Amino acid sequence: MDEDYYDVDAILAENQKVQCTFKVTVPEMGHLDGGNERDIKPLSKVNIPMWMAYILIYSDYADFNIPPPFSSRVRNALNAEPKSVKLCNLVGQGGVWYAFGVMIMKLLNDAPANDMSEILVKTFRSRLPEVIDQAQHFASITTATAGAGSADPSGAFREGLDGTERELFTLAQVAVQTTKKWYNHSEVPGK
Amino acid sequence: MALPPSLRLSVTPPELELIACEQLIEIIPLVAMERTAFISGAFGPLRPPAKCKVPIWMATNLKLKKKCHIVPPDWLNVDFLQDRLTHETSQPEFSQLPFRFAEVAKVLLDVASDDFENPERLRSLLKDIQEARQAKSREGLSKIDHSELSLPNLCSMEINEIRPVFIKAMGVLSQLVREPEGRLPT
Repeated sequence: MDEDYYDVDAILAENQKVQCTFKVTVPEMGHLDGGNERDIKPLSKVNIPMWMAYILIYSDYADFNIPPPFSSRVRNALNAEPKSVKLCNLVGQGGVWYAFGVMIMKLLNDAPANDMSEILVKTFRSRLPEVIDQAQHFASITTATAGAGSADPSGAFREGLDGTERELFTLAQVAVQTTKKWYNHSEVPGK
Repeated sequence: MALPPSLRLSVTPPELELIACEQLIEIIPLVAMERTAFISGAFGPLRPPAKCKVPIWMATNLKLKKKCHIVPPDWLNVDFLQDRLTHETSQPEFSQLPFRFAEVAKVLLDVASDDFENPERLRSLLKDIQEARQAKSREGLSKIDHSELSLPNLCSMEINEIRPVFIKAMGVLSQLVREPEGRLPT
Protein backbone atom coordinates (compact mmCIF):
# COMPACT_ATOMS: atom_id res chain seq x y z
CA MET A 1 0.00 0.00 0.00
CA ASP A 2 3.00 2.29 0.39
CA GLU A 3 3.24 3.26 -3.23
CA ASP A 4 -0.30 4.62 -3.19
CA TYR A 5 0.12 6.65 -0.05
CA TYR A 6 -0.02 10.06 -1.67
CA ASP A 7 -2.23 9.14 -4.58
CA VAL A 8 -5.58 10.90 -4.32
CA ASP A 9 -7.39 8.23 -6.30
CA ALA A 10 -6.12 5.54 -3.98
CA ILE A 11 -7.24 7.50 -0.94
CA LEU A 12 -10.73 7.88 -2.35
CA ALA A 13 -10.91 4.22 -3.26
CA GLU A 14 -9.88 3.26 0.26
CA ASN A 15 -12.95 4.92 1.65
CA GLN A 16 -15.18 2.03 0.68
CA LYS A 17 -16.56 -0.01 3.51
CA VAL A 18 -16.13 -3.73 3.83
CA GLN A 19 -17.78 -6.06 6.21
CA CYS A 20 -15.42 -7.61 8.74
CA THR A 21 -15.88 -10.14 11.46
CA PHE A 22 -13.98 -9.28 14.57
CA LYS A 23 -12.12 -12.03 16.32
CA VAL A 24 -11.35 -10.33 19.59
CA THR A 25 -13.21 -8.11 21.96
CA VAL A 26 -12.53 -4.43 21.54
CA PRO A 27 -13.70 -2.50 24.57
CA GLU A 28 -15.53 0.81 24.19
CA MET A 29 -15.50 0.78 20.41
CA GLY A 30 -19.08 -0.27 19.86
CA HIS A 31 -20.01 3.20 18.56
CA LEU A 32 -18.04 2.66 15.34
CA ASP A 33 -20.79 0.66 13.83
CA GLY A 34 -23.49 3.06 14.92
CA GLY A 35 -24.81 0.40 17.26
CA ASN A 36 -25.67 0.97 20.84
CA GLU A 37 -23.33 -1.60 22.33
CA ARG A 38 -20.41 -0.56 24.38
CA ASP A 39 -17.90 -3.18 23.23
CA ILE A 40 -17.29 -5.07 20.03
CA LYS A 41 -17.71 -8.73 20.73
CA PRO A 42 -15.90 -11.47 18.81
CA LEU A 43 -17.74 -12.81 15.80
CA SER A 44 -19.71 -9.61 15.39
CA LYS A 45 -19.93 -8.18 11.89
CA VAL A 46 -18.94 -4.54 11.52
CA ASN A 47 -18.75 -2.33 8.42
CA ILE A 48 -15.44 -0.53 8.42
CA PRO A 49 -13.56 1.40 5.73
CA MET A 50 -10.75 -0.25 3.84
CA TRP A 51 -7.93 1.76 5.31
CA MET A 52 -8.84 0.52 8.77
CA ALA A 53 -9.64 -2.98 7.61
CA TYR A 54 -6.18 -3.42 6.15
CA ILE A 55 -4.40 -2.97 9.48
CA LEU A 56 -6.94 -4.97 11.43
CA ILE A 57 -6.61 -7.94 9.12
CA TYR A 58 -2.85 -7.82 9.13
CA SER A 59 -2.77 -7.70 12.90
CA ASP A 60 -5.19 -10.56 12.82
CA TYR A 61 -7.93 -8.85 14.80
CA ALA A 62 -10.58 -9.47 12.15
CA ASP A 63 -11.48 -11.48 9.11
CA PHE A 64 -13.34 -10.24 6.12
CA ASN A 65 -15.57 -11.56 3.37
CA ILE A 66 -15.55 -10.59 -0.26
CA PRO A 67 -17.56 -7.38 -0.34
CA PRO A 68 -20.73 -6.97 -2.48
CA PRO A 69 -19.13 -5.22 -5.46
CA PHE A 70 -17.37 -8.49 -6.17
CA SER A 71 -20.00 -10.98 -5.18
CA SER A 72 -20.78 -14.02 -7.30
CA ARG A 73 -23.84 -12.26 -8.71
CA VAL A 74 -21.66 -9.48 -10.06
CA ARG A 75 -19.14 -11.98 -11.33
CA ASN A 76 -21.79 -13.88 -13.26
CA ALA A 77 -23.08 -10.69 -14.82
CA LEU A 78 -19.54 -9.77 -15.86
CA ASN A 79 -18.93 -13.18 -17.34
CA ALA A 80 -22.08 -12.89 -19.39
CA GLU A 81 -21.65 -9.37 -20.76
CA PRO A 82 -18.98 -7.10 -19.28
CA LYS A 83 -20.12 -4.05 -21.17
CA SER A 84 -23.57 -4.02 -19.69
CA VAL A 85 -22.61 -3.88 -16.03
CA LYS A 86 -22.67 -0.42 -14.51
CA LEU A 87 -19.42 -0.42 -12.61
CA CYS A 88 -19.80 2.97 -11.03
CA ASN A 89 -23.05 2.04 -9.30
CA LEU A 90 -21.44 -0.87 -7.53
CA VAL A 91 -19.17 1.22 -5.37
CA GLY A 92 -21.08 4.30 -4.35
CA GLN A 93 -20.79 7.72 -5.92
CA GLY A 94 -17.60 8.58 -7.80
CA GLY A 95 -16.87 4.90 -7.73
CA VAL A 96 -13.53 3.38 -8.60
CA TRP A 97 -14.31 -0.29 -8.91
CA TYR A 98 -10.94 -1.27 -10.31
CA ALA A 99 -8.93 0.45 -7.58
CA PHE A 100 -11.12 -1.12 -4.93
CA GLY A 101 -10.57 -4.51 -6.53
CA VAL A 102 -6.82 -4.01 -6.50
CA MET A 103 -6.93 -3.30 -2.80
CA ILE A 104 -9.00 -6.35 -2.01
CA MET A 105 -6.65 -8.40 -4.11
CA LYS A 106 -3.68 -7.32 -2.03
CA LEU A 107 -5.39 -8.56 1.09
CA LEU A 108 -6.28 -12.00 -0.17
CA ASN A 109 -4.14 -15.10 -0.36
CA ASP A 110 -2.98 -16.67 -3.59
CA ALA A 111 -5.93 -18.61 -4.94
CA PRO A 112 -8.78 -16.11 -4.49
CA ALA A 113 -6.46 -13.28 -5.42
CA ASN A 114 -5.68 -14.88 -8.76
CA ASP A 115 -9.40 -15.22 -9.35
CA MET A 116 -9.93 -11.54 -8.55
CA SER A 117 -7.08 -10.55 -10.82
CA GLU A 118 -8.54 -12.58 -13.65
CA ILE A 119 -11.96 -11.00 -13.31
CA LEU A 120 -10.53 -7.50 -13.16
CA VAL A 121 -8.31 -8.02 -16.17
CA LYS A 122 -10.98 -9.70 -18.23
CA THR A 123 -13.54 -6.99 -17.50
CA PHE A 124 -11.09 -4.20 -18.22
CA ARG A 125 -9.99 -5.72 -21.48
CA SER A 126 -13.47 -6.23 -22.82
CA ARG A 127 -14.72 -2.79 -21.83
CA LEU A 128 -11.70 -0.90 -23.09
CA PRO A 129 -12.41 -1.03 -26.86
CA GLU A 130 -15.94 0.22 -26.25
CA VAL A 131 -14.67 3.10 -24.12
CA ILE A 132 -12.20 4.16 -26.79
CA ASP A 133 -14.73 3.77 -29.60
CA GLN A 134 -17.15 6.06 -27.87
CA ALA A 135 -14.42 8.55 -27.05
CA GLN A 136 -13.43 8.79 -30.69
CA HIS A 137 -17.04 9.13 -31.75
CA PHE A 138 -17.63 11.90 -29.27
CA ALA A 139 -14.53 13.78 -30.30
CA SER A 140 -16.50 15.33 -33.09
CA ILE A 141 -19.41 16.41 -30.93
CA THR A 142 -18.64 19.38 -28.72
CA THR A 143 -19.19 19.22 -25.00
CA ALA A 144 -22.39 21.22 -25.26
CA THR A 145 -24.41 18.43 -26.78
CA ALA A 146 -22.66 15.55 -25.08
CA GLY A 147 -25.26 15.34 -22.36
CA ALA A 148 -28.05 12.80 -22.16
CA GLY A 149 -29.27 13.09 -25.72
CA SER A 150 -27.51 10.33 -27.60
CA ALA A 151 -28.59 6.81 -28.50
CA ASP A 152 -29.70 4.79 -25.53
CA PRO A 153 -27.26 1.87 -25.25
CA SER A 154 -24.15 4.00 -25.65
CA GLY A 155 -25.47 6.62 -23.26
CA ALA A 156 -26.21 3.96 -20.71
CA PHE A 157 -22.73 2.51 -21.10
CA ARG A 158 -21.19 5.91 -20.57
CA GLU A 159 -23.12 6.43 -17.38
CA GLY A 160 -21.91 3.11 -16.04
CA LEU A 161 -18.25 3.90 -16.52
CA ASP A 162 -15.94 3.50 -13.59
CA GLY A 163 -13.59 6.34 -12.55
CA THR A 164 -10.53 4.90 -14.26
CA GLU A 165 -12.49 4.32 -17.45
CA ARG A 166 -13.70 7.90 -17.39
CA GLU A 167 -10.11 9.10 -17.31
CA LEU A 168 -9.26 6.94 -20.30
CA PHE A 169 -12.31 8.26 -22.12
CA THR A 170 -11.22 11.86 -21.55
CA LEU A 171 -7.65 11.14 -22.64
CA ALA A 172 -8.76 9.54 -25.88
CA GLN A 173 -11.30 12.25 -26.61
CA VAL A 174 -8.80 15.06 -26.08
CA ALA A 175 -6.19 13.37 -28.25
CA VAL A 176 -8.59 12.91 -31.14
CA GLN A 177 -9.95 16.43 -30.85
CA THR A 178 -6.47 17.99 -30.93
CA THR A 179 -5.49 16.02 -34.01
CA LYS A 180 -8.71 16.86 -35.79
CA LYS A 181 -8.31 20.54 -35.04
CA TRP A 182 -4.79 20.52 -36.42
CA TYR A 183 -5.89 18.68 -39.50
CA ASN A 184 -8.54 21.21 -40.35
CA HIS A 185 -6.31 24.19 -39.72
CA SER A 186 -4.92 25.74 -42.86
CA GLU A 187 -1.85 27.86 -43.46
CA VAL A 188 -3.20 29.55 -46.55
CA PRO A 189 -4.97 32.79 -45.70
CA GLY A 190 -8.58 32.94 -46.76
CA LYS A 191 -8.97 29.17 -47.24
CA MET B 1 10.08 24.85 -17.03
CA ALA B 2 6.60 23.73 -16.01
CA LEU B 3 4.20 22.81 -18.77
CA PRO B 4 0.46 23.45 -18.51
CA PRO B 5 -1.43 20.19 -17.95
CA SER B 6 -2.87 20.09 -21.46
CA LEU B 7 0.63 19.97 -22.97
CA ARG B 8 2.00 17.36 -20.60
CA LEU B 9 0.12 14.47 -22.10
CA SER B 10 1.94 14.20 -25.40
CA VAL B 11 3.48 16.11 -28.26
CA THR B 12 1.02 18.44 -29.99
CA PRO B 13 0.27 18.02 -33.72
CA PRO B 14 1.65 21.46 -34.69
CA GLU B 15 4.93 20.47 -33.04
CA LEU B 16 5.02 17.29 -35.09
CA GLU B 17 4.32 19.33 -38.19
CA LEU B 18 7.29 21.53 -37.39
CA ILE B 19 9.57 18.54 -37.01
CA ALA B 20 8.28 17.02 -40.24
CA CYS B 21 8.96 20.24 -42.12
CA GLU B 22 12.70 19.81 -41.68
CA GLN B 23 12.59 17.17 -44.37
CA LEU B 24 13.94 18.09 -47.79
CA ILE B 25 11.71 18.39 -50.81
CA GLU B 26 12.30 19.28 -54.43
CA ILE B 27 11.14 22.58 -55.82
CA ILE B 28 11.27 24.44 -59.11
CA PRO B 29 12.22 27.97 -58.08
CA LEU B 30 10.92 31.00 -59.92
CA VAL B 31 13.40 33.43 -58.43
CA ALA B 32 17.14 33.28 -58.07
CA MET B 33 18.89 33.07 -54.73
CA GLU B 34 22.49 32.62 -53.71
CA ARG B 35 23.62 29.80 -51.47
CA THR B 36 22.38 31.07 -48.11
CA ALA B 37 23.16 29.86 -44.63
CA PHE B 38 20.17 29.15 -42.38
CA ILE B 39 20.17 27.87 -38.83
CA SER B 40 19.54 24.28 -39.92
CA GLY B 41 22.01 24.36 -42.79
CA ALA B 42 22.99 26.04 -46.04
CA PHE B 43 20.62 25.74 -48.99
CA GLY B 44 20.59 26.93 -52.54
CA PRO B 45 21.67 28.36 -54.85
CA LEU B 46 18.30 28.68 -56.54
CA ARG B 47 18.74 28.99 -60.29
CA PRO B 48 15.44 28.83 -62.14
CA PRO B 49 14.31 26.70 -63.83
CA ALA B 50 16.62 24.04 -62.37
CA LYS B 51 15.22 21.90 -59.58
CA CYS B 52 16.63 22.23 -56.08
CA LYS B 53 16.19 20.48 -52.75
CA VAL B 54 15.14 22.65 -49.84
CA PRO B 55 13.41 21.99 -46.50
CA ILE B 56 9.61 21.93 -46.56
CA TRP B 57 9.32 25.03 -44.38
CA MET B 58 11.26 27.00 -46.95
CA ALA B 59 9.29 25.51 -49.82
CA THR B 60 6.01 26.45 -48.12
CA ASN B 61 7.23 29.96 -47.54
CA LEU B 62 8.34 30.45 -51.14
CA LYS B 63 5.16 28.90 -52.47
CA LEU B 64 2.95 31.23 -50.44
CA LYS B 65 4.83 34.13 -51.94
CA LYS B 66 4.42 32.52 -55.38
CA LYS B 67 8.16 32.15 -55.85
CA CYS B 68 8.36 28.44 -56.59
CA HIS B 69 6.53 25.31 -57.67
CA ILE B 70 6.66 22.19 -55.54
CA VAL B 71 7.53 18.79 -56.99
CA PRO B 72 5.45 16.14 -55.21
CA PRO B 73 7.51 13.51 -53.34
CA ASP B 74 7.46 10.11 -55.00
CA TRP B 75 5.03 8.58 -52.52
CA LEU B 76 2.43 11.30 -52.87
CA ASN B 77 0.63 10.20 -56.00
CA VAL B 78 -2.55 8.32 -56.79
CA ASP B 79 -1.00 4.98 -57.79
CA PHE B 80 1.22 4.59 -54.75
CA LEU B 81 -1.52 5.56 -52.32
CA GLN B 82 -4.10 3.37 -54.05
CA ASP B 83 -1.76 0.44 -53.78
CA ARG B 84 -1.21 1.11 -50.09
CA LEU B 85 -4.94 1.41 -49.51
CA THR B 86 -5.60 -2.03 -51.00
CA HIS B 87 -2.80 -3.35 -48.85
CA GLU B 88 -4.37 -1.84 -45.72
CA THR B 89 -7.79 -3.21 -46.40
CA SER B 90 -6.63 -6.67 -47.34
CA GLN B 91 -4.05 -7.43 -44.67
CA PRO B 92 -4.14 -7.26 -40.89
CA GLU B 93 -0.73 -5.62 -40.48
CA PHE B 94 -0.01 -1.97 -41.11
CA SER B 95 1.46 -1.21 -44.50
CA GLN B 96 4.73 0.61 -44.98
CA LEU B 97 4.28 4.37 -45.23
CA PRO B 98 6.75 7.21 -44.79
CA PHE B 99 6.98 7.92 -41.09
CA ARG B 100 5.65 11.46 -41.26
CA PHE B 101 3.33 11.06 -44.21
CA ALA B 102 0.34 12.64 -42.49
CA GLU B 103 2.09 15.89 -41.66
CA VAL B 104 3.91 16.24 -45.00
CA ALA B 105 0.79 15.39 -46.99
CA LYS B 106 -1.33 17.85 -45.05
CA VAL B 107 1.11 20.72 -45.49
CA LEU B 108 1.76 20.10 -49.18
CA LEU B 109 -1.86 19.56 -50.14
CA ASP B 110 -2.77 22.66 -48.21
CA VAL B 111 -0.24 25.02 -49.70
CA ALA B 112 0.43 23.58 -53.14
CA SER B 113 -2.67 21.79 -54.29
CA ASP B 114 -2.22 23.24 -57.76
CA ASP B 115 1.08 21.39 -58.14
CA PHE B 116 -0.62 18.00 -57.86
CA GLU B 117 -2.50 16.46 -60.69
CA ASN B 118 -5.45 15.20 -58.64
CA PRO B 119 -5.57 16.77 -55.15
CA GLU B 120 -9.12 15.77 -54.27
CA ARG B 121 -8.48 12.14 -55.03
CA LEU B 122 -5.25 12.26 -53.05
CA ARG B 123 -7.09 13.74 -50.08
CA SER B 124 -9.76 11.10 -50.13
CA LEU B 125 -7.21 8.29 -50.52
CA LEU B 126 -5.23 9.62 -47.59
CA LYS B 127 -8.36 9.83 -45.49
CA ASP B 128 -9.30 6.25 -46.31
CA ILE B 129 -5.83 5.00 -45.46
CA GLN B 130 -5.90 6.82 -42.16
CA GLU B 131 -9.28 5.43 -41.25
CA ALA B 132 -8.27 1.88 -42.12
CA ARG B 133 -5.19 2.16 -39.95
CA GLN B 134 -7.15 3.67 -37.11
CA ALA B 135 -9.56 0.75 -37.19
CA LYS B 136 -6.62 -1.64 -36.97
CA SER B 137 -5.10 0.16 -34.03
CA ARG B 138 -8.46 -0.03 -32.25
CA GLU B 139 -8.42 -3.78 -32.75
CA GLY B 140 -4.91 -3.95 -31.39
CA LEU B 141 -6.16 -2.14 -28.32
CA SER B 142 -8.38 -5.04 -27.36
CA LYS B 143 -5.43 -7.41 -27.38
CA ILE B 144 -3.44 -5.15 -25.12
CA ASP B 145 -1.06 -6.77 -22.69
CA HIS B 146 0.35 -5.36 -19.50
CA SER B 147 3.97 -5.96 -20.34
CA GLU B 148 4.63 -5.07 -23.94
CA LEU B 149 3.07 -3.83 -27.10
CA SER B 150 4.42 -3.99 -30.62
CA LEU B 151 2.77 -2.16 -33.53
CA PRO B 152 5.14 -2.14 -36.48
CA ASN B 153 4.82 0.45 -39.24
CA LEU B 154 2.76 2.92 -37.29
CA CYS B 155 3.31 6.55 -38.26
CA SER B 156 4.15 9.57 -36.18
CA MET B 157 0.70 11.19 -36.03
CA GLU B 158 -0.99 7.90 -35.21
CA ILE B 159 1.48 7.11 -32.46
CA ASN B 160 0.91 10.54 -31.02
CA GLU B 161 -2.84 10.10 -30.93
CA ILE B 162 -2.89 6.79 -29.16
CA ARG B 163 0.10 7.31 -26.88
CA PRO B 164 -1.67 8.73 -23.77
CA VAL B 165 -4.47 6.16 -23.93
CA PHE B 166 -2.20 3.18 -24.38
CA ILE B 167 0.15 4.23 -21.62
CA LYS B 168 -2.68 4.75 -19.16
CA ALA B 169 -4.42 1.51 -20.13
CA MET B 170 -1.24 -0.48 -19.78
CA GLY B 171 -0.60 1.13 -16.41
CA VAL B 172 -4.01 0.14 -15.16
CA LEU B 173 -3.57 -3.38 -16.50
CA SER B 174 -0.21 -3.78 -14.83
CA GLN B 175 -1.87 -2.91 -11.53
CA LEU B 176 -4.68 -5.35 -12.10
CA VAL B 177 -2.54 -8.30 -13.09
CA ARG B 178 -1.27 -10.11 -10.09
CA GLU B 179 2.29 -11.37 -10.19
CA PRO B 180 2.41 -15.04 -9.24
CA GLU B 181 5.58 -14.67 -7.19
CA GLY B 182 4.00 -12.29 -4.75
CA ARG B 183 4.18 -8.55 -4.50
CA LEU B 184 6.71 -6.67 -6.55
CA PRO B 185 8.57 -3.85 -4.87
CA THR B 186 7.81 -0.74 -6.87
